[in-house]
Amino acid sequence: MSLTGYKRSNGEWGFRNHVLIAPLHQMLSQSARAIEEAVPGVVAISHDWSGMREKDFDRIAKTLSGILVNPNVFHTVILAIGTDIESEILSLAQAHAKTPFTIVTLKDAGSLQALTELGSKAAATALNGAKALKREPAPWSAVVLGLECGGSDAYSGITANPALGVASDKFVADGATSILGETMEILGAEHLLALRAITPEVGQQIIDVVARYEKSINYEGIDIRGAQPSRGNIEGGLSTLEEKSLGAAKKAGNAQFTGVLDYADRPPVAGLYFMDTPGHDIEQLSGFAAAGVNIAVFTTGRGTPTGSAVIPTIKVATNTEMADALPDLIDLNAGTIADGTQTLEEVGALIYDLILRVANGDETRAEIGGHHEFNLSRLYGSTL
Amino acid sequence: MSKRQVLFLHPNDNIAVCLTDIAAGTTISQDGKEISIKENIPRGHKICTRPMAKGDGVIKYGERMGHATKPIEIGCHVHTHNVLGDRLSTEE
Repeated sequence: MSLTGYKRSNGEWGFRNHVLIAPLHQMLSQSARAIEEAVPGVVAISHDWSGMREKDFDRIAKTLSGILVNPNVFHTVILAIGTDIESEILSLAQAHAKTPFTIVTLKDAGSLQALTELGSKAAATALNGAKALKREPAPWSAVVLGLECGGSDAYSGITANPALGVASDKFVADGATSILGETMEILGAEHLLALRAITPEVGQQIIDVVARYEKSINYEGIDIRGAQPSRGNIEGGLSTLEEKSLGAAKKAGNAQFTGVLDYADRPPVAGLYFMDTPGHDIEQLSGFAAAGVNIAVFTTGRGTPTGSAVIPTIKVATNTEMADALPDLIDLNAGTIADGTQTLEEVGALIYDLILRVANGDETRAEIGGHHEFNLSRLYGSTL
Repeated sequence: MSKRQVLFLHPNDNIAVCLTDIAAGTTISQDGKEISIKENIPRGHKICTRPMAKGDGVIKYGERMGHATKPIEIGCHVHTHNVLGDRLSTEE
């Protein structure tokens, strides 16, 4: 199967051609949603940041600026108040990519209603442009794959995760990029991942990123039992965090790790990466979107509808029972590996093919269901 | 071929994963091994395949996933009531 996509001016490739409506201040989030409703076919994000230089500003700025220029975005309609801090975010975005954008400011529009009307007009014009753009044959290096899991069960590490690992390895071997996230979910498996690092320094970074996390948890005095593994995980048969991690890490297959990324940072060259993200599904997908991930696979044992504003997100079930119970959420069932009807390699090949089909335009269940979540990840409270 | 009842993941493991609910009293005979199940085990959960003493590592995928907090006999349920992670958890 060949790969097609939309070539962007910075050399990146998109597998979707979104017109994104992005507010840079929480006051404009409702306007973004109103534009999304007024112009069917565009996608809006909303968030709760009030344009303050709070302790998490760098993290927030990276996330917002990164998603503005995700390669799956054709054109961004930016809603702003008209402040300097918003200009900083725009500059950060443009350092990554010259994604075309229209900026509508409250200062110029005069009222929220006028801003929504101006934004809707810009969105409709951009959407016509998006529809006119044709797909072109894309190289394998176009793929920036996000690896995620949520609602893990005891089958995750046996079925869906290692099968996804087979697919990820094949993409990485062909020159693509693949990113594993969730720091908490490699705790207990980091020594094995570090052994696969391209250099001892990268191996040490993998160890350090988990050590930092573990220290912060111990420092906070949080009793992690009851939360990790979660009640759902425990009901599913997972007994310890290490057990969950050993299974979760299998999403990254057996390829060498090229590097470690901070949350929402873009990978500098192709290869397999670990990104320091929270376990929270939407925060992780938002970090991936900001990092330029253009397609994601999300394995789940308990089932979850979560999608991303800009990344087509494929759901792979770890067990047949859940896949049968929640067909509107699940794109592919890897539970057949535990049923004994398919092998790991067979399901890995199916996931690989599905990634290509979705990259080429097939819609995921999350897209059909209209799930396009986004949120900002904070390490500290909003103290200002 | 009848459906597999348990999954032996790695030769070094001291647990196996149940692929169906298994009732106490069942004898599993699979992959050249025979195990008498001593407790009801839900699917997805683990059974002990080698006796463990208190403090022994629980090995899954050939890797340590925690330790036994009490002795565990072959055929018994291995879960949060007799296993604790080595990290980020404290003994009761």
